[in-house]
Parts: sequence; C-alpha cells; structure tokens
Amino acid sequence: MLRALFSRLLQTLLVLAVVSVAAFWFLKLAPGDPVSLMLGAEYSPAAAARLTHELGLDRPWPQQYLHWLGGFVRGDWGTSYISHSDIFRQAVYEALPITLTLSALSLLMALLIGIPAGMVAALRRGGPVDWVVSSVAVLGSAMPSFYLGIVLVWVFGVGLGWFPTLGFVRPWEDFADGMHHLALPAITLGAYYAGLIAITTRSSLIDVMGHSFIAAARARGEPMWRVVCVHAMRNVLMPLTTVIGLQLGGLLRGAVMTEVVFAIPGLGMLITTAVLNREYGVVQAGIMLTALFFVLVNLLVDQTYQWLDPRLRRR
Amino acid sequence: MVQVDFKNLLAQRLAADFSRRNFLGAVGAGAATAVLGSGIAQAAEQRRGGTLKWAQLVPPDTLDPHFTGSLGSIKIHNNIYNGLLKIVYDGKRVGFAPDLAASWEMTDDKTHVFKLRPNVKFHDGEVCDAAAVKWSLERVKDPKTGSPHAWMLASLESVEVIDPLTVRVRYSKPFAFFPVAMNGATGRAGTIVSRRAVEKFGKEFGRNPVGTGPFKFVQWRENELIELVRNPDYFEPGLPYLDKINIQLIKEPTAAVAAIMSGQVDALDACPFQFMSQVRGNKNLQVFGEAEGNYAFLAMNTKRAPFDDPNLRLAVAYAIDRELLVKQGYFGDAVPAYTLISPPMADFYDPAIAKSGRGQFFDLKKAQEYRAKAKVQGEIAPVYVASEAFTSNGSSGSRNAQLIIPMLAKIGIKAKLELMDPAVLNKRTNAGDYDFYDAAWEGDVDPDETMRPEWSSGMPWNRVGYANPEFDSLVLRASQTVNVAERKKLYVQAEDLMMAKDAPIAVLAHMRVFKILNKRTEGFKYVPANLMNMHTVSLKA
Repeated sequence: MLRALFSRLLQTLLVLAVVSVAAFWFLKLAPGDPVSLMLGAEYSPAAAARLTHELGLDRPWPQQYLHWLGGFVRGDWGTSYISHSDIFRQAVYEALPITLTLSALSLLMALLIGIPAGMVAALRRGGPVDWVVSSVAVLGSAMPSFYLGIVLVWVFGVGLGWFPTLGFVRPWEDFADGMHHLALPAITLGAYYAGLIAITTRSSLIDVMGHSFIAAARARGEPMWRVVCVHAMRNVLMPLTTVIGLQLGGLLRGAVMTEVVFAIPGLGMLITTAVLNREYGVVQAGIMLTALFFVLVNLLVDQTYQWLDPRLRRR
Repeated sequence: MVQVDFKNLLAQRLAADFSRRNFLGAVGAGAATAVLGSGIAQAAEQRRGGTLKWAQLVPPDTLDPHFTGSLGSIKIHNNIYNGLLKIVYDGKRVGFAPDLAASWEMTDDKTHVFKLRPNVKFHDGEVCDAAAVKWSLERVKDPKTGSPHAWMLASLESVEVIDPLTVRVRYSKPFAFFPVAMNGATGRAGTIVSRRAVEKFGKEFGRNPVGTGPFKFVQWRENELIELVRNPDYFEPGLPYLDKINIQLIKEPTAAVAAIMSGQVDALDACPFQFMSQVRGNKNLQVFGEAEGNYAFLAMNTKRAPFDDPNLRLAVAYAIDRELLVKQGYFGDAVPAYTLISPPMADFYDPAIAKSGRGQFFDLKKAQEYRAKAKVQGEIAPVYVASEAFTSNGSSGSRNAQLIIPMLAKIGIKAKLELMDPAVLNKRTNAGDYDFYDAAWEGDVDPDETMRPEWSSGMPWNRVGYANPEFDSLVLRASQTVNVAERKKLYVQAEDLMMAKDAPIAVLAHMRVFKILNKRTEGFKYVPANLMNMHTVSLKA
C-alpha cells in the first residue's frame, strides 16, 4: 500500500516536472515577449535590451527555467511584471478558490441534471422523452462553452433579466448573491458534462438492464425503483466514473473560456491574460496549479474505483 | 507684439470655456449668471449617494499617471487625480481651464504662473501646495524616473515656488502644447501625485494611487475590479455626488455590452462599432460619442522595399476608398480622414477639408498614375499584419485589413493578411518585420501630440521609419508658436508634405469614441478626449 502510494507520488512529481518544462519551453517558443508590451510607447532597442536584461530574459531558457524552478519549490513564485504583485498570492489565494468553486458547482449541476435525465431516457427508450434527452444531451456536449455562454447571457441576462451576467461575488462572502452570479457560468461550463453524463448513463443503463441479474431481481418482486437505483445504477457508476474522470481535466479548459465570457477572475482568466501579456511567471503558476489539479483528480478517480467495486480492493 | 499673442492664446483657450467651478455658481459675473442659473438649479436636484458600476473594456496598465501608456488608465485616474489644468468642452470646441490651479497666467511666452487653490489635500492628508506641484513636475522630468511623458517637459527650465500657493513654470522655448501637458487627462505630465505616497510605495505606486481628485482609490483586484470611494475633502464644493464607483474589468466586449444593455452596469467606457445599433435602440441608455481627436491609419514600412518608394506609397494612399471604409469598417461611426488633424481641434481643423483638395483621398486614377511611376512594377505581395484584439487599432479589429486588401488589389498590390495576437503584433511592428499594419492614435486634443511624437524622425512611436527633416522642423516650430493662425499655417505645410509627398502612412478615418451610460445616471459631461469623468454624475433614486 505504502509502496503504491510512494510510486504514485513519484509519478505525480514526474508529471509536474514534465509539464513545467513543456509549458516553459512552449511559451518561450511563442513569438512576442513581455518587453515590448511593457515598454509600450517608450520602446527603443536600447530600452528593450536593458529591460530584457533586468528581467533575466536574455539568459538561455534552461537557465531561466532552473531559476524559476528554484524559486517555485521554495514558494517564491516571483512578482508579476505588470501588477508587481506576488504571483503566489494572486494564483493560489485569489484565483484558485474561484475556479475550484466554479468547477465544483458545474460538476454538481451536471451530475444532478445528467444522471436523472440519462436514467429516464434509458427507461423510456425509444419514446419522446428519450428523443428529447438524447438530442439536448448531444447539443449540450457539442456546443463550445464560449458560444453557449454568450447565448445564455443574451437570453437569460439581457432578454429575460433573470441572472446577472457579469462580475463575481465570492459565495463565501455572500452565498445567495454568489450563487446567483455563478448560475449562468456553472450552466455554461456544466452543459458539456451534463450531456456527457446523460449519454453515458443512458447507454450504460440500457446495457445493464438487459442483464439476467436485473431480470432475477424483478422476478423476486423488488420494486422498480430499487431495481434501477440499487442494482442497476451501481453498475452504471463504474463506466460513468471513468468517463467523468477522463474528462474532468477538460473542466479547467472550459473554465478558461467561461471565465473570460463572464469576467470571472479565476485561474482561466489569470492564464489568458498572462499568456497575452507574456507574463511567463504567471502562466507557469497557472499551469502548475492546473496540472496539480488534474493529477489529484485522477488520483481521486482511481480511489473511487476501489470504493465502487469491492473486487478491486483485494489486490 | 508678443504680448498680444498670449492674450490671443488665453482668450482662445479660456474665454469660450466655462470651468466646472463657474458652473457651480462660484462666479457672479452678470452675463454668465443668467446662463448658469439653470445649471445651479439642475445641480441642486442631483441626488447624493449610491454606487456607480462601470464596465471597463480597455484594460488599464497602471494608475501612476506618469507611467501610463493606456487610455484605459487615463479614464480612471482622471477621477483620482487632478492636473494643474483640465480639459473642458462646450459642445463645439475643446479648451483648457484651471483645475488644481485657481488661475493661470502667462507673463511672457515662456513663463506660466499658477496660483493654486488653497487648502487642497491629497487623499493621504498631505497638503497639495506649490512645493508638491514642483516635486511632481520634476518627477516627470527627471530621467531617473524614466517617465514616457518626460518629452512634454523636455524644454522645462525651472519650476519655482514663489509662495506656498504660487508656482512659476519656466520653459526655455515657447511651447504651444503646454496646456495639454499640464492637464490631468491625456497630458499626464501635469497630473499631480502625492510625494509621500510615491516615496512610500515606490514601484507599487501604480497600484496604490494617491491624488487630490474627487474619488479615492480603495482596491484593485486583478482582472476583476477597481474600487473608488468618494473623497469627502474634494475641493470643488458639493462634489462628487456618488459614494462609490466599482469599475469592473472585462475582457469580452459581448459580455460588457450585454451588461450595459441589461442594466447590470451603469456605464461602459467603450463600445465596439458592431454593437452600436443595438445600444442605440435600447431606451434605457444614453450614448455619448463624437468624432474625437484621433485618426486611424495604414502604416507602410518605409525602411524596406518595396514601400521605401514614395510613389508606391502614394498609390496606396489614393487607392483607399475611405467612404466605403467608414460605412463597412466603422458602420458609419467615423468620418473619412484626409489629414492628421481631427475635428475637435477646432482651431486647426478645416471643416471643408473634403473639398479643399488637400491631404489624401480616394482617386483610383491618381493611384494608378503613381503606381505606374513606382520602382517595382508588376504584381507585389506585401505582408499585412493585424490583430483581432479590440483595443489595438481604434476598435476595428481586422475589418480595416479585410476592406483595404481588395482595394489595393486594383493597383496590383496583393497583400497577404497575417493575424496574430497583440504581443506578437507589437513585437513585429517594433522590429520592422511587416509591410503594412493599421493602427490609430487616440485621445489627442492638440495637433502637437497628434503629429510630433508620432512622426518626427527617430521617435519610438514612428515605427514606419518616416524621416523628413523639413517635416521635423515644421512641427517643432509649430510647437513653439503660440499664435494660432501662424501655428496653423505651419501644420498645413507639414501635413501637405507628409500626406501628399512622402505618404509614410495612409490616413483612414477619425472615429467616434463612445461612452454609454444608463439613464439612471445624470450629469455626465462628455468631453471628446476619451474621458469618463464621474465627479458630476449622480444616480437617480
């Protein structure tokens, strides 16, 4: 057990190391640099050279990387070129909790909508309900979040005026207002997962319902809800967890778009702004947090398997 | 003789303009009072209190006025700081009036004496007196500070404290741009900042601004909002009305437009042209916006072939149909530009320029003639670099490029469009790695700032590499000429040289710049200098 955990930890560190090198290198490959942006009107080749040197950007990139890594592991993530604020504070204390809240809420919403919808569709297979659920699910999972977000903004924000479309209220400061502000972003981000969950639930449930143990349970005279919710759904959760687990990393990708559309100051917004301004340190911080999140989620999903399927525990 | 000139200047600058202070009834002069009576009545009705939410699309860079290069920042810090002078607008012309100063006099053509308002305090409690003004101006001038606006004080000789409320500013040469340099808006150099705060915060001052303005800075949450509160000690009696301003920083224009249309925010600092018909159709909104002191232009790289050839550049300048560009690129919210000087520069702009035959205009025959004279004949394929980003070129994104490229095809120039993000665009234009790009200079109120720093030889903004000593000397002489008529003549000569002979750029349009406010607000005073001054604004109950 300990050995397994240790090897997992080693894997995690390796993944993070690879990600950090790749991110650093890719950003260096991208044309454009922060210097000409920072100088703006003051730009002159001499001023650019001076600033490049001041920022240490004239050193070879592996050296810059090591310098960054040295600071990173010690918790010194540097300061932003533009805002002069501490990157660690900005990313971990300010942006991360916001993105986590948004992601968690989206996932919750997707589960609450996706599972029942998929169940109903499976049980009413071929009927009008199935048709509607399947179509909406496909649409929901196919629509890019930036487009869906803008549609929702115009329909529910501008047209009907039910929801605020802008700005962010921290739910831990004002819960009701926070939720009100998060509703549209969470739907936008969650739509893809709701669709995916509904489709997976539907197809798995149809599959499971054809098994003989279901027929046996029904023959024993167990009520339908018990057959579905206890016997069948238990077997649906496995493929569902796999699908969600695989796609959960994408939640952060969707968060980038969603946050920009709804002006939410989370990790996605932080990374977008930083990439456009070529703020290497900030991008790096955002990517490391994202990678860490991804790895943790996968770890969590693996643990869930063992919990869901007793057979996997005795290994 | 010289004496008459200052009076002329001052008369032009001041007499036509009502200052904010006058507006509140602090003057009793006969004729003025009658006009101002209604102003007082209106002012009395405005409600106090409330929080105004404003959505800001143009990202601010820093709130240190001596360092900013962003018009987005100026809109904000014009609410936090004051200049010695301020920009005023009477619906016809832009002028300058004392702001932190109680009066402004010119004792000779190089010397300005400011009497300051008494009892003005910075938000940190420091007194804003003559010594504070001197320190602030010298901060900009000091090369160690590294302010990009130092050029405005290049010929500043001395700032003397005569008594605690009197400052004498001496230049070594006459400087017609002076009133712009000393205003707290686009001038920036004359924005007065608190010495104690600058010394306390150092590089962080731009995130912890301290001024004398109607609102005090509270916080700046990165990518989220900037919060200001009422300054109870503000020197204009009774102002401001609002208790708080929340400036929401937004990247996505659609989201910002949706927010103003649904009433979630009370003000929007800019609006892309494609949304204007929807915004105008909304009954709850007031739209402010005129053709401002700006011009969009197509830049041609004069430093490398084939556009090192003036004939080829002139061919381009005459091949562009500006009427079509205005209609399709700006959805009608612009006027064609013939030269650099824009409509609000009333002393210098010629309202009949379209018929004057001066400047650049669409004339395909002329374009073909110049094309035939060009060194390179046959088809050429230059590179046109552009960005879709909203703020990079007067809000037209890549529309200008898409419209101009087919126009140039008619004279055998088949430009290739390369789209990129602003960081790359910036780098490539700085490095001279392009043939065409389009951009805009915005928020200008005087011909000097609209021509001299942009197109004089070797200036950093002059990325096309335009270099004509005759042009340099004309605009320099114009900046040292205070007599308006003489100055105008110099600009006409400079423009004729640049537009019709050298053509390093093709001017395209003077754009309208929009400020959208909800009808819940009242008292907004529009100034065509891209400002969002909120001190006179109140919210209805």
